[in-house]
Amino acid sequence: MVSTSFCEEAQLVDSEAMASSKNTDSELKIRDFEQQALPLMPQLYGAALRWTRNPSDAEDLVQEAMAKAFVAWGQYQQGTNLKAWLYRIMTNTHINKYNKQQKDPSRGGLDDLEDWQLGDAESITATTTRSAELEALDQLPADIIRNSLMAIPEEFRMVVYYAVVDGLPYSEIAEIMGTPVGTVMSRLHRGKKLLRTLLAEYAIEQGYLSPAKAAQKTEQK
Amino acid sequence: MAEFDCEETKALVHEYLHNELLPDQQKDITTHLALCDSCEEEYDLEVYLNQVIQRSCDEEPPKKLAEKVLARIKDIQSH
Repeated sequence: MVSTSFCEEAQLVDSEAMASSKNTDSELKIRDFEQQALPLMPQLYGAALRWTRNPSDAEDLVQEAMAKAFVAWGQYQQGTNLKAWLYRIMTNTHINKYNKQQKDPSRGGLDDLEDWQLGDAESITATTTRSAELEALDQLPADIIRNSLMAIPEEFRMVVYYAVVDGLPYSEIAEIMGTPVGTVMSRLHRGKKLLRTLLAEYAIEQGYLSPAKAAQKTEQK
Repeated sequence: MAEFDCEETKALVHEYLHNELLPDQQKDITTHLALCDSCEEEYDLEVYLNQVIQRSCDEEPPKKLAEKVLARIKDIQSH
């Protein structure tokens, strides 16, 4: 039948065309990815450092997340938020790879802890004035700030990082972390509070901040 | 006039700084901060802490990382 043979012929031409364009397609895919996703790599590395807390694991995490993103590139909808999409893939990659051994039911949810269980920033910083705390912050070296950020629990650390360093809106952080917006809010509050406590403790220990003196200053006012 | 007392104002510090409040709330807090030294100091401190965190987290990725990523995706594509 004419129509069948026409179809077969068309299919044959089609598959030949496909074979010859296969290389071009894959080159295009690589070029697309290289032009769009690769420029976001420094930002991914910054977040990866916060997840993994060391440069060599951060490199691994970025490579793995980028590889997964490339495989899933067809699912990325052009025009939507690419950075959030890549961050989300990295979150999943990290959780699957590094947190498997931590899937211990006794670990419990940090979000369920009460504020007093997390340490109380006010009890330490209440004895100091805000201006003394600010002055002390100014003197703390960058690695102390980074180490203190590393010392707070991952869930809080990442929300603080995304909100403060990346300047992402709560809704986007919620999407990346796979949590409700309310959780983002409470993690940011608690994370900042923990960080302030750690920094104040360190500053007092190192003599950058003196609670007694600061309290005297307030009385003299 | 300001609708928020000090406790409420201090509780919303991060939402205010990250622009997550409704325009009216944002305005009420701005008014409160202009009138209240204690809240203003608290806000200044949080702003400063944010700047300090931003400055501290500015590590550049290793120079070879982009090459490694590219090599890996080319490898994936060829299989």
